[in-house]
Order: sequence, then C-alpha cells, then structure tokens
Amino acid sequence: MSFLTLAPRTTPSGYLLPSIHSAAPLFTQQPNPNTQAVVTEHWTKLILSYARHRRLFILRVEDAEAAGNDWDEILRNEQINRRLLPSHLVYIMADMVAKNRAVYEPARQTRSVLLYWRTPEEWAEALHGWADSTGQLNMILTFYDIIEPPVPSPLSGIPMTLLRKAITVLAKTSRAQIIWVADGEGVRFLAGNTNK
Amino acid sequence: MHRLGGVGLAAFERQQQSQRSFAELSNELSKAQVEHLHAQMDHFRSALVRFATTHRDKIRKDPAFRHAFQRMCASIGVDPLAGPRKGGWWAEVLNLGDWQYELGVQIVDVCVSTRERNGGLIEMGELVRLVGRLRAVEEGTITEEDVIRSIKTLKPLGAGYEVIDVGRGRKMVRSVVKELDGDQAVVLAIAQDEGGRVSEELLIARRGWAVERARAALENMLLRDGLCWLDEQDESGSPAYWILSAMHWDE
Repeated sequence: MSFLTLAPRTTPSGYLLPSIHSAAPLFTQQPNPNTQAVVTEHWTKLILSYARHRRLFILRVEDAEAAGNDWDEILRNEQINRRLLPSHLVYIMADMVAKNRAVYEPARQTRSVLLYWRTPEEWAEALHGWADSTGQLNMILTFYDIIEPPVPSPLSGIPMTLLRKAITVLAKTSRAQIIWVADGEGVRFLAGNTNK
Repeated sequence: MHRLGGVGLAAFERQQQSQRSFAELSNELSKAQVEHLHAQMDHFRSALVRFATTHRDKIRKDPAFRHAFQRMCASIGVDPLAGPRKGGWWAEVLNLGDWQYELGVQIVDVCVSTRERNGGLIEMGELVRLVGRLRAVEEGTITEEDVIRSIKTLKPLGAGYEVIDVGRGRKMVRSVVKELDGDQAVVLAIAQDEGGRVSEELLIARRGWAVERARAALENMLLRDGLCWLDEQDESGSPAYWILSAMHWDE
C-alpha cells in the first residue's frame, strides 16, 4: 500500500505551502469547536503569510467562490481536489477581525477584509523608517507620493486605508503631521522625540 | 501408637532440646548463606558498576548496546533505569537517570506540541522520529523501546501518558487522560491501514459493523474526543473522518 505523504510543497509563485495544506479535512469547517480553533489558526497563518509573500492586501469571500484569482494557490488544492468553501472563509475572516489580524474593508460589511500581515503600528515604523532613510523628513509628501513612489519602496502599493492608519499612529507621537495640500491630503514626517 | 522420642516428661524435654538445636543450626546456616549472598551482591554490584561506568557513553549513545544492557539487567532482576534520583547510586553512576528524564521531557514536548493536530494520540513511529529530531546528533538515536521505558517512568506523574496497542504490533501513545473504548481502538487500527482516512462504509465493510455502531464510534471521536477531523468533500460523497495522527507527515 502506498499513501499520500503530506509534505510541504512550493507553489508556482514560489510560496512554500506547509504539509497541513495537503490534509483533506483542513478544507472542511469542523463541528468540534476545539478542532475548528486549530483549523482557523492554520488558515489565518496561511492567509497572512501568503499575503505577505504576494503583497496582497485584500481578501474577499468571492475569492473562494470561483477560481481564477490571486488566492487560488492556497484556497484550493487541486492535488487532493479540495477547496475552502465560501461559508468557511466567512467564518475565518470574522475570527481574524476579532483577533485584530484583519479589518473589514470597507467597514460595515463582512465579505471583504484588509489583511494585517503587518499591523498599522508596524506599517507606521516602516513608513517613518523609509521617509527617514530617503531623506524626506520635514518635506511635504502627498499620499500618492508614498503609494506610488518613483523608486519602489516597502510602502509601494499600500492601500490608502492602511496608510492613513499608519500616519495616525505616527501623528499620535508627533512623528507625522497631516497637511492639506492643493490636490488633497499630504503628510510631513518629523524626526520626533525618539524617547516618545 | 508411635510416640516420638519415647514416653514421659523426659522425652518431651528431649524433643524440645533437639528442636532448639535444629533452630540454631538453621539460623547459623541461613546467616552464612545471607552473608554469602551479600558478598556476592556486593561483588556483582561493583562489577555491574564497573561495567556500566566503562560503557556509560556507549549505553547512552548506542541503542543496540543499550538494549543488550537492559536485557542483561532485566534477566537478573535489576532495573538500571528505574527510579532515577531516588535510585541513588544507579542514577549517579550511570547518569542514566538524567538521560531517562531528558528523554521523558522530549516525549512530553513532542506529545504536547502535536496535540492540537492529533488530539493527543500519536503514532509510535512518528513519536520516535520527532523525538529523534529534537535530540542532538551526538546523543545517538533512540528506539521504540527507549520511548516505552521512558513513558513508564512518566507514569507516577499522573499525566496519563500511555502506550496503546492498536493491533498487529502497531502502537500509539496517548497523552491525554481519555478512555479509548474497544470500538475506537478498531477505528484507529483501520485508520492506520488507510493512511488516516476512515468512514462508516469502511467500518461496515471491514468489520461488519451496523451503520449505527460505525456512526456512533466516529461521531464520538469527532465531537466528544476531538481525535479526528471531518472531511465533507470526500470523493465518496459521504463524510470521511481523518485521524491526523495516523496520516503520513513529512515536515
């Protein structure tokens, strides 16, 4: 007799799937709450680490409904013919929001989340570090300058909501000021008091 | 009627006298024997200590040698690994008390860290493999026998670690206090044959169980014990149950 051995596997996008992804029952919502807690934790880690790998920020229930999107590599496993069902994804997303590992985006709906593979606090540090290391402290930058900088940065492509949260974090410690400029909002980063 | 030593009070005295002499003789004899035995024991003990000290490293590192040593000790009724610390000289001489404790800690480590995915039931081979991975290379490999011994030493802790025979020489280690009934043992054995997957159909076909019996056993393992996971996308069209500890993992 030979069995499928559950082994880690690298996807075409270069992501290393853990061996649990080859376990058929991972794709079923478990009736035993203790077991489901384990399953939810596995999915949360998978989703966040894959999002980080691909720099994906948004996950939608629709991503589990039909193939052909950015999430196929983890929401499906063609080798064992299993997929994460939309209802199960709704449950996992709710748990992630409850644990501050994602937020509903936009607010007041439950079909789409903004993923916190970095928390707003971590983004704030990355943002300030980038402004500092590129010599842009005390200059006025538009949000657009940050989201689509001429030279790609760790902040390239960051969703507006997340950028705003990160700037708010910095503003609280006087390391950023939101400024109204002609074509919308801008921000000035300040060296700030490192001692807080 | 025959009377021992004749008749009368004198005869009675005589009989008592000889009984006393016999008792004295017997005392002396057994005292000599005990002394002899003590001498032998001392001799044996020092020989064993000498042997164990000389071969300590080999005992610790070489599983085959360790096995032979343990067999030798067992055949003469000595357990070198029993009761570390309190066993006193054994533990000190051999350092094997620590060795056994260390192995115990590693077993607990593996059992606890895999508990969430296997519900507290781990296949013996898997346990040996994962414990082996925890250990430094120079410590040498460990065997199933070492693990079984170590689990015995864990027993006084009352943590409920137990080796379960699921049939045909295959063993699993249970690290949660949970009673496994006979039906669950059967389910475990079949799951091991099937790479982890069981279903009502399989239990009915293999064991001739009634549907209700198969369902009850599986539902209990799923809902009450958390020993298996449900798969609603099974190709058969009906639910399948997976016992993660019986699946073949390569991590």
